[in-house]
Amino acid sequence: MRAIPTLKISVSGVRGVVGESLTPEMVTRFAQAFGTYVGGGRIVVGRDPRTSGEMVRQAVLAGLVSSGCRVADLGVCPTPTVQLLVRQLGAAGGVAITASHNPPEWNALKFVGGDGLFLGPARGRELLDIYHQGNYAKIPGAAQRSPERIADAVERHVRTVVDALGRLPAGPRRLEVVVDPGGGAASRAAGLLVREIGAEVFAIHTDADGRFPRPAEPVPENLGALGDAVRAHGADVGFAQDMDGDRLALVDETGRPIGEELTLVLAAEPVLAREPGPVVTNVATTDAVEAVASRYGCVVHRTRVGEANVAEGMRSHRAVIGGEGNGGVIYPRVNFARDSLVGMALVLHRLAASGETVSALAAAYDRFRVVKLQRHCPADQVRPVLRHVRETWAGRPVDLADGIKVRLDDSWFILRGSNTEPIVRVIAEAPTTEAARALAERVMADVAACLGAEQSSTPHP
Amino acid sequence: MEPLKIGITGVRGVVGETLTPELVVRFAEAFGSYADGGRMLVCRDPRPSGPMVQAAVTAGLLAVGCEVVDLGVCPTPSLQLAVPWLGARGGVSITGGHNPPEWNALKFVRGDGLYLSAEQGEELLDVFHQGAAGRVGWERIRNGVEDADAIGHHLDALAAAFDTAAIGSRRLRVAVDCGNGSCARLTPRWLERLGCEVLPINDDPSLPFPRLPEPSVAAAAQARALVLAGRADLGLVLDADGERLSLVDETGRALSEEMTLPLAVEAALSRERGPVVTNVSTTGLVERVAARYGAMVVRTPVGQAYVSEAILEHGAVVGGEGNGGVAVPRVQATHDSAASAALLLRHLAETAEPLSAQVAALPTLVVRKLAVPVPPSVLYSALAEFREAVGAVEGATVDQTDGVKISWPDGWVHVRASNTQSLVRIIAEAESDERAGERLEWARERLRT
Repeated sequence: MRAIPTLKISVSGVRGVVGESLTPEMVTRFAQAFGTYVGGGRIVVGRDPRTSGEMVRQAVLAGLVSSGCRVADLGVCPTPTVQLLVRQLGAAGGVAITASHNPPEWNALKFVGGDGLFLGPARGRELLDIYHQGNYAKIPGAAQRSPERIADAVERHVRTVVDALGRLPAGPRRLEVVVDPGGGAASRAAGLLVREIGAEVFAIHTDADGRFPRPAEPVPENLGALGDAVRAHGADVGFAQDMDGDRLALVDETGRPIGEELTLVLAAEPVLAREPGPVVTNVATTDAVEAVASRYGCVVHRTRVGEANVAEGMRSHRAVIGGEGNGGVIYPRVNFARDSLVGMALVLHRLAASGETVSALAAAYDRFRVVKLQRHCPADQVRPVLRHVRETWAGRPVDLADGIKVRLDDSWFILRGSNTEPIVRVIAEAPTTEAARALAERVMADVAACLGAEQSSTPHP
Repeated sequence: MEPLKIGITGVRGVVGETLTPELVVRFAEAFGSYADGGRMLVCRDPRPSGPMVQAAVTAGLLAVGCEVVDLGVCPTPSLQLAVPWLGARGGVSITGGHNPPEWNALKFVRGDGLYLSAEQGEELLDVFHQGAAGRVGWERIRNGVEDADAIGHHLDALAAAFDTAAIGSRRLRVAVDCGNGSCARLTPRWLERLGCEVLPINDDPSLPFPRLPEPSVAAAAQARALVLAGRADLGLVLDADGERLSLVDETGRALSEEMTLPLAVEAALSRERGPVVTNVSTTGLVERVAARYGAMVVRTPVGQAYVSEAILEHGAVVGGEGNGGVAVPRVQATHDSAASAALLLRHLAETAEPLSAQVAALPTLVVRKLAVPVPPSVLYSALAEFREAVGAVEGATVDQTDGVKISWPDGWVHVRASNTQSLVRIIAEAESDERAGERLEWARERLRT
């Protein structure tokens, strides 16, 4: 059997392993394809701090300049900063250099349109066609424009969030916050946002040298150090971000991770209370979103998984807030992107206005317990696996918008193949963690049986 | 489609056509692999395509594990001096040199600050063509680029090699046309440090090239006017990246770039005896000046790498080429227009003999040059056919060090392929313009194109 490929070129960009598949030549060709696609003009470029970031950045700059673009180079910054600056600078597009939660050997290019949104499937496919055709725009050397360095992009981002949402009301006591940006792109931005909005900040894991001090994903098992720091400082809340600063997870005042599914739910409250309107999230996100929306008489629309899909859905439904269960909050009044800084500001306002603890706010959604499992699955096995599971649950209400989602009496699960890795994930929600885990494990057992059957039916040579 | 030239002196092409970012990235990866990683210096001349090419070079070097030091817009000789100073494994100078502004090129410098030799250039090409770059994984790739002040170091090295106080006592007035090249950051400062009154022109690298970057009589128009208006003792016309130099005398007469080396040889040998190195295509005035001091002249193939190697091998006191490039080995064994300007100024200061008189003291030899465009597909076969067509020439010697050079007692004609463009160059020298013209014609008739 062939080796597992480490290069993934898809409508959501290009992703690979540095030193193997993600070569500077390919990166510079992709950047030329993007420059050709947008027809020149201004392009915003930012990167996360992983060690290959400088190499990839230089290759991107060369490709963009060669194809006639004027580059606004933000340096190391969160991905949502790139998206925000595209709109603020009236740019033709943006490139975020980040493999978000992937391990440190990975890196990737994500492409942003002039509207500040990631290229969705349609625009992504057009870009891929240009990349594969290989006939990129080239402008004469004399007409090339030197990249422009924008050194204060993070400050602009923080200022935009604080100006839009306001500083916290002066109360008897300032909120105390521990931030854990995980040595990622938001390592400077996180503390700055908390300070500027008017809370006390303690920070861990702010050394953004590309060596991950903890696994990049802000899931509960990676947040032990944050929980310890919250307890040690007696802080009100702990904030954890992923490597590129789009996702946010919360740790309550006892140091317990409340689960990244609840970030969107808690962030939505102050928005819906002030400006009720539609909410958009993906099909794999907790039903607690419906619970909070119905409290304010608002409807929820569900989309396929992925920021581009959610953002598209938000635009067509004129949503006031949206996001995903992985901790990505989109508040279009500030930034049409999953933005952990916006999420932090909304949660802090919610805490300040309610005067309640994080654990008390989370308790209102106690009956929504989510368990997520994943396993390796070759890309060509994903469809047979989904078909098998669908047959297993025939007769139950099923939603095929993305993977397969099956609704049971007081619980549901969704099984889908990853867009970026050769794995399948199951997400199960039930009133108790035990029930959710049992459901998720049952689905995974089905998946294993199906893969095992496949394997035994095609014996190794 | 404009030509692309990949050769042992580097890679050179037109940006927007053949010199693409992916080609540059692959060449930089090959060079970084060839040098086996380590510290690499990168500089560029101020052409607008420089930032693009530099980004591509940096990406390629980082990908194969190099530590990149960015010298910014800086003369090539400043980079060459900085390579050993910073303990670097090598360097890449991004410069179209004397080529027109739409061109750009990569020149590869090895750990001792000299250009790659012909053999090393061949090895690099093999690595490039093989395409097996030694890319490194995330633990070893460098996550950033440092800066260094190569120009400041170059100024210090120059000051250590010349007695600035002695030169400064004469308070020479020097007009200098930097052509808005990298030298604008170095040469005017160096002339001031030498105690000269400096009249600079075209000294802003952020502006476009005001003339062709090649120093020549045609490029000297502004410098001539400046010498006359400013009553200067000397005018300097510089190329874009700090290697080459042509002169204007105090009467406002522009000298051919061929004259720079003979004048520098006189200036060097009058102080210090030793061998002189030049290429086979350079004026016979070099031998005539060297003969006054009983000095040996070593002739090499055309190209700085050959001249530099011979300078080191023979312990030469000066070397250079007919294109206006002069090396002062006390500073470094490679073309350096700041060092050669200082050599000439020291001689002016010491002898108090005006430049026009120094020129008048040289025998009259006339050089005529012709560049014949030849398609890349037949460039080298045209030269081989020429060699056969010429055969043995009665009363002359035929030298095949580089191309074909036919020498008579009163002059010579040299026919060779350009290293950098798809051209056959014919150079003839004789004691009269007419005779030089005849020799040029003689060779042109025998070249089938």
